[in-house]
Formats: sequence, C-alpha cells, structure tokens
Amino acid sequence: MLGVARAATTSDAFNAIAEPQRRDILTLLRSGERPVTDLAQELGMSLPGASKHLRVLREVGLVRVRGAGKQRLYGLDAGGLRPIHEWVGGFERFWAGSFDRLDAYVQDLKQTRREE
Amino acid sequence: MTGAGREPATADREIVISRVIDAPRELVFEAFTEVRHLSRWWGPEGFTTTTRAFEFRVGGTWDFVMHGPDGTDYPEWITWTEIVAPERIALLHGEHRDDPNAFASNLAFASHGTATRIEMRTVFPTRQLRDEAVEKYHAIEGGEQTLNNLAAYVAGHARKEGTS
Repeated sequence: MLGVARAATTSDAFNAIAEPQRRDILTLLRSGERPVTDLAQELGMSLPGASKHLRVLREVGLVRVRGAGKQRLYGLDAGGLRPIHEWVGGFERFWAGSFDRLDAYVQDLKQTRREE
Repeated sequence: MTGAGREPATADREIVISRVIDAPRELVFEAFTEVRHLSRWWGPEGFTTTTRAFEFRVGGTWDFVMHGPDGTDYPEWITWTEIVAPERIALLHGEHRDDPNAFASNLAFASHGTATRIEMRTVFPTRQLRDEAVEKYHAIEGGEQTLNNLAAYVAGHARKEGTS
C-alpha cells in the first residue's frame, strides 16, 4: 500500500540519510543510546518530528530500539549502514590495498637500485 | 575550492584516492609502466594477475585476468589514453575491448621532497555505473571484513566522542 515516493524513502538507507535532521540524529547516536525526548531536545526538534525521523531510520535498519525500564532507548544499527559503507568503501578499499602493495614494492625497488 | 576547471556534474560519478609513497617520483611512475612491476602489486593482498597482452603506450592495451584470493577470475582490460612521464597517466579501464561501461582514471604523480603523492581520479560514465563498480569491488574484497571494520569504526567513534 505504500506509494512510490514513500517506499523509496523508507526502504533505502541512502534516501533516509538524505534528510539533514536524520543525519543529525545518527551523529548524535554515535555517542550512545538515547531516548527520543533527549534527541528531540538536543536537536531542537518537536517530539513528533523526532519520532517520525526515528521511525524512518528504524525501517531502513539504521537505528534500533530497546526497552530499558520505562524508557525506550534508540541506538545505531551498524547493519543498516552496510550499504552506505559499501558504497563509499568498495572501490576505494580495493585501491588502498593495491597502493599498500605498491608502496612495499617500490621500497624494495628503491633498495635494489641502491645496491646496484 | 575555486570551482574553476572542473565540471561539478562529475562529482557524483567520481572517486578520488590518493597516497603518499616514500620514493622518488620517477621510481613510483616506473612501477606503473611495466607488467613485471604491475603484476607484483596490482590488487590488494592475495590477488594475482595473468597477462595476455601488454603494451605501455598511448593506444596500447593491457589485457589480463585478475585472480581473487577465493579463486574467482575477473577479466580486465586497460588502454592508455595519455602518458606524460613521470607526471601523469590517463587510462580507460573495462572488462574487455570496447566495453561500453569502461571508466576513465587519471593518475597524477607529484613530488613532495623525497616522496611522491599519487592521486587517482576515476570518473564513471554514469552514477549508476559508479555504484555498480563499487559493488563489484566490494564483492571482490568480501563483505564480512568490511562489516567488521565498520563495527570497529562505529565503536571507535563512540569511544572518541565519549572521552572528549
């Protein structure tokens, strides 16, 4: 029953973090779990606004929630960050690995040339 | 950022990677010019290459197979579009000759005292192809390691911010 635009926002981590306030929430959650009231207060959002953002972040798996006594604590869910991490990391990490080997190889080459 | 010289339109299609290597520029450049050198370092740890053809000149090609640590073979095909020793190399990188999805990489070599800074600027034809390339390279290196690193990264951030 979800409309196309809605489905895109809630099924894709990239769309979810395109919204600056949701990025602010993720940044804040890096330092640890928090209840929604804390998040709203610290980021100057309304409570319903913060709740709505948290719902989207949960739906794409970027944030998880657990009950702690009467409170519900929201925290980062590293699993959902995976597609984002892959997107920025795959090609770059491949080349970082190659450049590590290039570095080691060139050091050998430098040494060999010096001895010649 | 002066904004001059580069089209902002390529920003979402490109990946820039740089590295400083403690060796003279001529030597670092040389490591890109001969297959006996390239075969020693191309690909991360555990990768090997088998070369079918190699001719380092503008218009020349490097036709090779990259073997992953898990035994998977990846066909690779490179042609050089510009060579200015020892400053820069421009190449087109695909899986086979006339690959419509081939992407352009520009390598720049800059001297920094006795060290050399390499900058590799890769521009994909479309943003989608860029994402696909990232996926492919991600598949090459294996997912678990990345996830472990991510967990360490997130934990590291949490620690840092907790103590500051």
